[in-house]
Amino acid sequence: MKFFTDGVLLFVRHIKKTFRSPAWLIIGMSQPVLYLLLYMPLLKNVAGGGQAVSAVDVTRLFVPGMLVIMSMGSLFAGFSFIPEMRQGLIARWIVTPASRVAILLSMVLNNLVTLSLQSIILIVIATFFGLRISVVGGVLTFILILLIGTSMAALSYAISLTTKNEMGLAQITNTFYLPVLLLSGIMLPISLAPHWIKVAAKFNPFYYAVEASRSLFGGNLTAPVVFVGYGITILLASICVWSAVKALQKMSA
Amino acid sequence: MNNVILRTQKLTKTFVSGRGKAQRTVEAVRGVDLEVYEGEIFGFLGPNGAGKTTTLNMVTTLLAPSSGQATVVGNDLLKNPIQVRQHIGYVSQAGGSDTAANAYENLILQARLYGIDLEKATQRAKDLVERFQMSEFADRLASTYSGGQRRRLDLALGIVHHPPLVFLDEPTIGLDPQSRAYFWDEIIRLKKDGMTIFVTTHYLDEADNLCDRLAIIDHGHIVAVGTGQELKKQIGAESIVVGFQNEKVLNMAKQSLENQVFVQKIYTEENKLHLFVVEGEKLLAEVLRVLDKSQVVVQTIELAKPSLDDVFLQKTGRSLREQGE
Repeated sequence: MKFFTDGVLLFVRHIKKTFRSPAWLIIGMSQPVLYLLLYMPLLKNVAGGGQAVSAVDVTRLFVPGMLVIMSMGSLFAGFSFIPEMRQGLIARWIVTPASRVAILLSMVLNNLVTLSLQSIILIVIATFFGLRISVVGGVLTFILILLIGTSMAALSYAISLTTKNEMGLAQITNTFYLPVLLLSGIMLPISLAPHWIKVAAKFNPFYYAVEASRSLFGGNLTAPVVFVGYGITILLASICVWSAVKALQKMSA
Repeated sequence: MNNVILRTQKLTKTFVSGRGKAQRTVEAVRGVDLEVYEGEIFGFLGPNGAGKTTTLNMVTTLLAPSSGQATVVGNDLLKNPIQVRQHIGYVSQAGGSDTAANAYENLILQARLYGIDLEKATQRAKDLVERFQMSEFADRLASTYSGGQRRRLDLALGIVHHPPLVFLDEPTIGLDPQSRAYFWDEIIRLKKDGMTIFVTTHYLDEADNLCDRLAIIDHGHIVAVGTGQELKKQIGAESIVVGFQNEKVLNMAKQSLENQVFVQKIYTEENKLHLFVVEGEKLLAEVLRVLDKSQVVVQTIELAKPSLDDVFLQKTGRSLREQGE
C-alpha cells in the first residue's frame, strides 16, 4: 500500500513540474513533425524501389519508426534528473522510508506521460498525411512504444546514477544513440540494406520493435515479428528497470 | 542525558575505483566508534576528505558500510534501515529543497513520504512555515528563494516528521553571518524541543560555542572526542605564538625551540610558530631567552588561550582555516 502511495505522491510532484514548463512538449514534438514534413515525402519514391507508393503505405512504414525515435528520446530523461541529484533532492527522498522502486517508477511514469502525449499528437498529425490504422494495431503499437520508453528512461536513470554528471551521460547516450538508430531501420526499412547491415541489425533490439510496430500498423496483428518484438522489448525493459533500481539502491545501501 | 541515541562500532568504508591494474582502494573510514547522547548537539569536525561525509552517509543509510555496525535511535543500521530512516532527519550539504515546487508542496510531500496523512501533513507544513518565518515567500517556487530562505526550507524538510535525531551536514556553509546566527538559534531551539542534533561544520568558533560535545575525524579515524573544554585542556593550557620576519628566521627558531623540555608540540603556520605549553605566561621570558641566545630576531610574540583551532591543528596537523571553504 505504502509503495503505491509513495509512487503516486512522487508522480504527482513530477507531473506538476513537467507541466509547469511545457516547453518540452514543443521541443519534443518539433523533430518528429519535421521528419513527417520534410523527410517522409522523399520516401514515397524510395520505399517502392523507384515506383511511387501510396500515402497510406508510406505512413505505415514511416510513422512506426518516428514513434520509436520518440520513445528513444526518453534516454535523455537523465539530463533533468542529474541537476536534481546535485540539489540533494534524490538523497532527501532516499533517506525517507519510501520504496526505491516507487521512487524510480514514479519518474519513469512521468516520462511515459509525456511520451504518450507526443505519440498521440504524432499519430493524429500523421492521419492528415494519410495514415490509416486499426484501433487494435494502434493500441498494441502504443504499448510497445511505452515499453521502449520505460527501457530508455530507466537506462538513462541508471547511467545518471552511476556517472553522476551530464558529461558522462551525454557521452554514453551519444555513442549509443546514433548506431542504434541507424541499425533499427527507422529511416528506411532494413530490407533495402546490404547483407552485413541486415546481420548487424539482428543484434539491435530496436530493430525488432520497429519491425513489430510496422507489422501492427499494417494490420498483421499476429505475425511472428510482433511476438518477437514484444518479447525482446519486454526483456529489455525488465533489464533496464532492474539495473536502475540496483543503481538507486547502491546509492542508498 | 547519557542515553545513547547513536552508537557506531568499528564502522569502515572502503571505496574501490578503476579496474585491473589501475584498481585503487581508498579507505575513507577506518573504524569509527562514536557515541552520541540523547538531547545533545554533537559536532563532527574534520578536514576535507577526512571521512566526515562518508560517515554521515553511512549512519543515515545513504551508503552501505564495508564493515562494522551501528545502532541509530534503537534500530540496527544494517538489519533495519527502514526503521532507522523513519526515526532520523537529514539535511544534506546540497540542501534538498525541490526548486520546482513551493515550500508547502515540498513540506507536504516530504511528510507524506514518512507516512503522515494529508491533513496532518498540511498542518505540519503550515506550522513549519510559521516557525521558520517563511510565510512571506512560502507559496512561491523555491527556485526564487535566497540562499538563507532556501536553507530554512531545507532544515524544515529535515524535521517535518519530528525525528528524535537529526543530521545536519554543513548547515551554515556559504551563509552570511546574520543567517548563520539565525540558523544556530533555530538549531538550539530544536535541541530545546528535545531533538538530538548531529552536525558537521567548518566553523570552529560556532562548533566551540554551540556544540555540547565534539568529535574530530582525520584520515578515517576519530582523533578526539569530548566537550570543547575537555579538548582544549587535553592539548595543554595555552599556546605561545611567535612571529618572524621570514621563513629562514622561522626555521632557525624552530631548531632551537623544538628540543626544549617545556614545548609539548610545535607547529608552523605561515611565518608563525605555535608552541603548545603548560603555564605559558611563565614561559614567555624563557622563549625569548632561548631565541636571543640563538640570535633569532623575534617580530611578535603572544600568549593565546587554546582555541578549537589549536585542538584541530594539534590533532590533525592541519589548520581548518587554511583550507578555506
